[in-house]
Amino acid sequence: MKPTVEEIGSLLALKRHERPEEGYFDDFLREFHQRRRAEETVKRGPSAWWKQAKVWFSNPGGAKWAYGAGLAYAAAAAIFLLVPEGQQAQPLPPATNVGHEVKASAPVLEQLDALDLRPSTQGSTGEQEF
Amino acid sequence: MPDESLQPDPDEDLVARARSGDTRAFDALILKYGEKLYGLVYNMTSHKEDTHDLLQDIFAKAYQSLPRFRGQASFYTWIYQIAVNMTLNFLKKRKRRSGMSLNELDSGVLQDPALIDSSHMANPEKQSKLHELQKRLNEAMLSLSEAHRTVVTMFDIQGIPHAEIARILKTSEGTVRSRLHYAHLHLQSKLQDYWE
Repeated sequence: MKPTVEEIGSLLALKRHERPEEGYFDDFLREFHQRRRAEETVKRGPSAWWKQAKVWFSNPGGAKWAYGAGLAYAAAAAIFLLVPEGQQAQPLPPATNVGHEVKASAPVLEQLDALDLRPSTQGSTGEQEF
Repeated sequence: MPDESLQPDPDEDLVARARSGDTRAFDALILKYGEKLYGLVYNMTSHKEDTHDLLQDIFAKAYQSLPRFRGQASFYTWIYQIAVNMTLNFLKKRKRRSGMSLNELDSGVLQDPALIDSSHMANPEKQSKLHELQKRLNEAMLSLSEAHRTVVTMFDIQGIPHAEIARILKTSEGTVRSRLHYAHLHLQSKLQDYWE
């Protein structure tokens, strides 16, 4: 037996009561905004953060400068505390004149003449005598 | 559904605020139409994850296109147009995808834990028969063409009048009635073996 069009309609109308589970749209909204922010960041490129910071500081408001100064102070303090003392930059001692002079050496032949090349009369330790 | 030409758009204020960058106003629009659009997309795709992803894409597209929304149609009609077009495009792509089998589709909407039917919880026997019938109905729905499934979803499930469906689909009321007629004939013949 065939159902009538009205019966089909009534059966289909029951589907109106179907709903996503409770809290679905809370998560949906969260995901929607995450995706939107991610897409905007990709579109703007890496300079987006710098531009946003510039816009933020260009708007009036003393509190922003206080936040900025606080952050800068915190960053400086962190660097001072975190860098070990041994690695801290040491001031260089003042340059002193060591008086070192480089003298020109004598020619090679003159150096050979100065050598005593006569045979020695005493054998050195471990030297064989025939 | 009231005649659009006689009534101002009830979402005019929210849309104007959303256009000027008020994300909370757009959130309110999502909460207002989210459930209806979920029903539309889910009954057309029969797939929970696809519905979720598509719904995200639909609202993202609407948000991006908001500056171009001129208010010639109501926001409701406009976002429905986006939803129907994107869902039909998605279904075409899915049909072309060889990896997608019918087994991946939810065969019975009422068996889906993500959806809660509050109307027939009292009588378990009646609920059981109804589940079986709903399962057959869903299978019959999946065997409809996309154009026919769209009008059945909008008219029979969502209760949208013919004139509004015609506006959303940018077609004539006659075409909507004709598609509904043939879709009903198809569903009747598919369900005749299970009808007592």
